Amino acid sequence: MSMRIRAKEQNGLVTVQSLIRHPMETGLRKDKDGNTIPEHWIQEVVVESAGKQVFAAALNTSVSKDPFLSFAFAGKKGDTLKMSWKDSAGETDSTEVTVS
Amino acid sequence: MSKSLNSALAAVLLVCAGGVQAGVLGLGSTATPEMIAGWDIDIRPDGQGLPDGEGSVADGEAIYEAQCASCHGSFGEGVGRWPVLSGGFGTLDTLDPKKTVGSYWPYASTLWDYIHRAMPYAAPQSLTDDEVYSVAAYVLYLNDIVDDDFISNRETFSKVKMPNEANFYVDNRPDVQNTRCMENCADPRQFEIVTTINGVTPTGHFKEDSGVAANHYGGATPIATAKATEVALSDAATNGKSVYDKACMACHTMGIAGAPKTGDVADWSTRIAQGMDVLHSNAINGYQGEKGVMPAKGGNMSLSDDEVRDAVLYMVESSQ
Repeated sequence: MSMRIRAKEQNGLVTVQSLIRHPMETGLRKDKDGNTIPEHWIQEVVVESAGKQVFAAALNTSVSKDPFLSFAFAGKKGDTLKMSWKDSAGETDSTEVTVS
Repeated sequence: MSKSLNSALAAVLLVCAGGVQAGVLGLGSTATPEMIAGWDIDIRPDGQGLPDGEGSVADGEAIYEAQCASCHGSFGEGVGRWPVLSGGFGTLDTLDPKKTVGSYWPYASTLWDYIHRAMPYAAPQSLTDDEVYSVAAYVLYLNDIVDDDFISNRETFSKVKMPNEANFYVDNRPDVQNTRCMENCADPRQFEIVTTINGVTPTGHFKEDSGVAANHYGGATPIATAKATEVALSDAATNGKSVYDKACMACHTMGIAGAPKTGDVADWSTRIAQGMDVLHSNAINGYQGEKGVMPAKGGNMSLSDDEVRDAVLYMVESSQ
């Protein structure tokens, strides 16, 4: 599982915490033998809730490995929340949770 | 006032004298099974010591959020500099190893033991057994070691296999032998400390007939062990000298740990007589001799076999 998401509603505000397991290699590091480690980083994170985009982020190489993102938006319990990302290697993944 | 104090003291003494006595000295009392149970809370890798009880990942999530997440982070990522609990897989042999419960710990039982014994930080041992089962299950879930429908109890928990368990092994290095000299031993009164490592550790002592002591006492014998003249070296041995300077000289210059000193012809002649193959093998694979121990590659495993061979050649050529 590449993502963990927690979405909790309180007073009409949904607080989302998320953690994506991703190496976020900058392409500037070298391994033990001196070879460059190829770049591999998340370019785009998009979160949709109830069919509407509620969050988008353009990440780059300055973001740490296993990025942790947290944000809040106006929403309600029971809404679905879908988070997806796309990285520099063209890989994508998405996970859906229900706001609780 | 003082009189009443005295009588009070006397009363206390009387009570003590009439108290329960334990053992020969009459001190203390025998621990009851309940007292021992209070201390005997360790959990073994095979699950021994796990109490009755049960917990689920879902229960654990609620407790974790309330009690643990403020430091360890909602996903075990660690807030600030507090300990990271999850992730780090595949990083142990990199330049930036991340030791977490999932990536490093060999046994799940440690998780139960530690949470029960020491967590939460501000109120250790405040969780019930069921709560510990739940939180431990949730931390395993954060590491993708168990699924979200995992129910943890004595039976299921002791069966959890941690991913890094196989990388732990029992240290199989031999014990160091400190064999006592029983006959024809050097007279300790004749020992001389001739140098120290960085002025800290006394090293190297010599029998009187080695020449060192005699020289020290004003005798005419020169130091027999150091060769004053430069020896003509082969190319390989010249290469070996840089390896020697890096990895071997710490012991082989002063003869620490029974190492034959470079330039000590007498000590080396018996070794050279065994043939270079034996010397190479002992230097590369390590060797436990009567007099001392040779760690494999001098303890510097980054050396190649050829480098070790060159260094041995350098010592041999310098000592004959």
